[in-house]
Amino acid sequence: MVTSLLSTDDLKQARALIEASGLTFEPRFDDLVGIVEAGRMVAVGARDGRILKMLAVAREHQGGALLDQIVTALVGLGFQEGFDSFFVFTAPSQATSFEALNFTLLASSGRSALLEYGDGLKRYLARHGRLVRPGVNGAIVANCNPFTFGHRYLIEQAASLVQQLYLFVVREERSLFSFESRFRMVREGTCDLPNVTLLDTSCYAVSSVTFPTYFLKDGDPGGAIQMELDLLLFAGRIAPYFNIGTRFVGSEPLSRTTACYNAAMHKILPAYGIKVTELERMSTRDAAISASRVREQLARGDSDELATLVPESTRQFLLSREGRRVWETRGNTV
Amino acid sequence: MKIVKKVQAGTMQSSDLMVVLEPAETLTVSIESTVLKQFGALIRARVDLVLARHGIEAGEVRITDRGALDYAIEARLETAIFRAAGE
Repeated sequence: MVTSLLSTDDLKQARALIEASGLTFEPRFDDLVGIVEAGRMVAVGARDGRILKMLAVAREHQGGALLDQIVTALVGLGFQEGFDSFFVFTAPSQATSFEALNFTLLASSGRSALLEYGDGLKRYLARHGRLVRPGVNGAIVANCNPFTFGHRYLIEQAASLVQQLYLFVVREERSLFSFESRFRMVREGTCDLPNVTLLDTSCYAVSSVTFPTYFLKDGDPGGAIQMELDLLLFAGRIAPYFNIGTRFVGSEPLSRTTACYNAAMHKILPAYGIKVTELERMSTRDAAISASRVREQLARGDSDELATLVPESTRQFLLSREGRRVWETRGNTV
Repeated sequence: MKIVKKVQAGTMQSSDLMVVLEPAETLTVSIESTVLKQFGALIRARVDLVLARHGIEAGEVRITDRGALDYAIEARLETAIFRAAGE
């Protein structure tokens, strides 16, 4: 029977099983469940939001139904929390065990595979089906936290080089400004560009699923693998659907994580026939315009220079009551 | 009956299926199955039958099946329908 693991002893046994399976025990999870047989932990698994992880079955019990029971329990618990699609990272050699449970393979690199339970990606694409345009299109994935002249410049440049530019705004709520506010700033800041189409990334690009370290300040070793999966998913599933032949990025002199991500793009995307075009960032007073620079200024309560960094539409939002509430109360968490 | 809330029923074990029902404007049924090629049409027919029997005309029905027999499909789907109707 699957039970929630709460006691110190249970946790110790679960950890031992997880580590014996060659996985790392990560203390961040919402649920940790296991199956105990004759006083011994024989199967274990955890859920962190919509991600299932640390799934391990004792060697002599493999091939049975224990994994099914663990995954059923985790999906059931996750469902109660409001999630209806779930992801699992596993070794490519284990992918078929999950496919037998009706998981779908989203992307696989030499080292790691990402699978999804529920047809979330298919539904995400179908939802945006009416935005599909034939021809040679381009894409930008951006967080726009907040939307700056830098974004505007990148978008304008990119839009002039392709028939249709898809601008994917990061859906994840891990930034100073909410998705809704960011999306609104982008919409208002780009509405005069007729061949720019806005859409959200859902959890299929630069999300806590595909690329968790994007939202952390310093990268971890797992970050490189996940970056690869993020790009493989984009190249294999998203780009073909929207006829995307070029991915545009701004050159990245500031953030190391983003610089690594750009480097990974150059490595992975061309193999799928997707050109990567890096566009020089726009600068003012010898410093590149970046959203983090805007956030730093806001954190200092300094809004004088805004007009040189962000378009009027963004400035108006930032200075509105709604905008102020965000940076005046949360301004210190850049 | 009407699907008024999002619910789940069933398991992911072999010979079973997991059903998710969600309110929607129109009726859509999606089926994933390890035996879709062999039995997809039969699963669909059984699902339609149960939905019709309970007068379900709108909602999103998502099924992931691992080779469940007809009576299991009926039981899981009916359970989900009763839960979704708030009964």
